[in-house]
Amino acid sequence: MSARADLLLELADDELILGWRDSEWTGIAPFLEEDVAFSSIAQNEIGHARALYELAAAELGTTADELAFDRAPDEYRCAPLVELRRLEWARTIARHWLYETADAIRLEALKGCDDIELAGLAAKIDREELYHRMHAEMWVDRLLGSDEGRAKLDEALVELWPYALGVLDDDLRPELVRRVEDRLGRTMPAAEPVRRGDHVAELRELLEEMTSVRRSAPGAEW
Amino acid sequence: MSDTREQEFLEYVQGGGQVETHDWMPEEYRKRLIKFVEMHANSELMGVLPERDWILRAPTLQRKLALTAKIQDEVGHAQLIYRVVEDLGKPRDDCLDDLLSGRSKFHNVFHYPTRTWGDVGVIAWLVDAAAIISQKALLKCSYGPYARIMKRICWEESFHVLHGRDVVLALVNGTDLQRELVQEALDRWWVPLMMFHGTPLPAEDDPMLHWRIKSQANEGARQQFLEGYVPQVRELGLTLPDPKLRRREDGTWEYTEPDWDELMSVVSGHGPASAERLAFRRLSRAEVDWVSRVVLAEAA
Repeated sequence: MSARADLLLELADDELILGWRDSEWTGIAPFLEEDVAFSSIAQNEIGHARALYELAAAELGTTADELAFDRAPDEYRCAPLVELRRLEWARTIARHWLYETADAIRLEALKGCDDIELAGLAAKIDREELYHRMHAEMWVDRLLGSDEGRAKLDEALVELWPYALGVLDDDLRPELVRRVEDRLGRTMPAAEPVRRGDHVAELRELLEEMTSVRRSAPGAEW
Repeated sequence: MSDTREQEFLEYVQGGGQVETHDWMPEEYRKRLIKFVEMHANSELMGVLPERDWILRAPTLQRKLALTAKIQDEVGHAQLIYRVVEDLGKPRDDCLDDLLSGRSKFHNVFHYPTRTWGDVGVIAWLVDAAAIISQKALLKCSYGPYARIMKRICWEESFHVLHGRDVVLALVNGTDLQRELVQEALDRWWVPLMMFHGTPLPAEDDPMLHWRIKSQANEGARQQFLEGYVPQVRELGLTLPDPKLRRREDGTWEYTEPDWDELMSVVSGHGPASAERLAFRRLSRAEVDWVSRVVLAEAA
């Protein structure tokens, strides 16, 4: 597989799996307004995944759906940060904010790359991610606004920090550390990144559920 | 004096007049209106639960996007409708407390479990079609704010029906197993669908019609549903599990009378999935309780 297809699958898998995790809040978010917001974010992420899979599929001679649903668990290239099942609000916000911060850095780099198709798609995706970042920043402010919220957010950020470090490669990682520490006004603990390629156990369970209907009639139209 | 005022109000609404939030209204009207609108909002909210699991199992990216958008619409409807209740004097938190403790009700169809992807198609197509019929009749509701939001809700629901029909079409044109998924789901959903519009209460005995909160009697809505959808279902080669179902010469549909006691039992919280759904929502509300505390502290 080309380095380009590899990169496209990394990006697409991150967006697909995070979009899937966001959908776990549908119907049970803390407020109806947040239910609607997380559904929108999930739809955007799945839409981004589809556009990225389509670019990869054209190169690999397959389809976006086959890439999204029909690979073996070990073939997924998502970062463990998005794989974790954390259906708890402070961790959801912490992951949302850490991921969006990392993703912004990655998209900035992609927007300037020589691959015109990918740079154009990155610019398009970034226009929607802007709203996700505003949403994540608003929630970070809200949680930091009270002792209880701050304590819960801090705990979640520390727990997820090694995973967040694994979203970006060695070149871009220092920028993530800088932005996170600047925003929080504190030093994050030194940690070994949980890198892409290592999967957590929750991914297998997620894929099992995600593909259950599709596997019931292989090759069928749905 | 107050009797005259109430009589004038009644004549006004029965004559097609609409009432606004800050207008005077008889207490009985306000109470009945709140109860009715609140049950509608509860239904939109509880209606998310039977479908939400299937977002996670949707078999293609396109279906996943469509289903997420559909369910998001339902949450949006709940939000809009609870606002109407709030303006009438009952805060959203009180509505949620009453829903979770079983003091208020939600629609019968949301008390049943979903078992397969076939349910996703049948619910979006037929449950939403039945709901549109009820909701279109609310466009003429005597309470203006409720009637007005119904325009947007009906418009969105009509997309859900198209989405549901598309899911069903893909399945009936698919493998034997896929076709069986739809037929089996239809068999399970038919009785709840026949109960959907309520008991055949005569128009003159229905207080909701008296105050023109509703503008269509229950049986009229059911007949409209049968007339619109039975032919469509049969056209796809699907069968309906009611041997008595037939259209008479005069255009009315005959059907097996549903067990109305069962309907009452289901909507009062004794349906096959009622307890589980309410427990799930209670648990999730308890788990995110601290978020409200934090947001209120931050806003203060």
